[in-house]
Amino acid sequence: MTIKNVSRSAVVLALVAFGAVSAQAQTANQTVTFQVNAINQIAFAGSPSLTITTAVAGSAPTSATDASASWAVTTNQTGAKITASIPLAMASGLTLSSNLTAPTGGTSAGYQALTTTAVDLVTGITKLAQGALGVSYKLDATAAAGVIASGSRVVTYTITGGT
Amino acid sequence: MSRATVLLLTLGLLSFDSRPAVAQFVTFTVTASPGAMIINAVPAAGSQPSSDTDASTSYRYTSLFAPRKKITAQLNAPMPTGMTLTATFAAAGGGTSTGPIALDATARNMVISMGAAFGSTSTITYVLSATVAAGVVASQTRTVTLTLLNYP
Repeated sequence: MTIKNVSRSAVVLALVAFGAVSAQAQTANQTVTFQVNAINQIAFAGSPSLTITTAVAGSAPTSATDASASWAVTTNQTGAKITASIPLAMASGLTLSSNLTAPTGGTSAGYQALTTTAVDLVTGITKLAQGALGVSYKLDATAAAGVIASGSRVVTYTITGGT
Repeated sequence: MSRATVLLLTLGLLSFDSRPAVAQFVTFTVTASPGAMIINAVPAAGSQPSSDTDASTSYRYTSLFAPRKKITAQLNAPMPTGMTLTATFAAAGGGTSTGPIALDATARNMVISMGAAFGSTSTITYVLSATVAAGVVASQTRTVTLTLLNYP
């Protein structure tokens, strides 16, 4: 074997050794810890106004309605519901009702009279995020209510998480 | 023993002795694990939950006289339904980051075509997202295995 051949062999051996090392995979680990908490959020938009001005002779005054408001909901729970109440009772002979359009899979209770006690408006809301849902208000008055000056009520909607 | 034989044996020993020395020129480590990632809010009602981001960790890469490299990442188990863990590895060694990649139980290329670098430190960014369909998820962990391999 000549010196030249020996040198070639050495280079090959060196490359083999180098290649074997550089081809080795190196690994490292990280641990990712995560969780999702219960999320229940609603929002309402709009400032509805209701005025009773007419009646059919012989009947109670004609109800006023307003469907200009909207609502949205996000929940990651099962069986959430929406309730509503007002902080102060309506004047005698006057009834304010609210009707929420149900999101997909939920059930609307239709128009429900609002009082200081929370009433269910939508039930069975399960794991959804949906907006642009309709809100309708209706104001009813009996003749006995008489003439009532402008007033206002803050309607408080509450989402109660399911499971 | 001939002169040629002696030289061959000497060079052979040198080359094999050089293996640990060469290995020192390719190193890959990561800093501690990211903090707990929690999803607990939505940007607005009607929207999906807000994601949670952690960019507190990094990897350190050295490669000298070595072939081009790539980094892959994979989880030890898939994420729960409705949840996604994406990762972005800032590039090192003149390589290319593949950008946000959703991690799963399959090795995914995170940085490719990495060349020479010495002690380069690059940020790892994790983003946890969830749809409402994921529901409430108790605390869990996933092990992310990062592997440095020859590229391609």
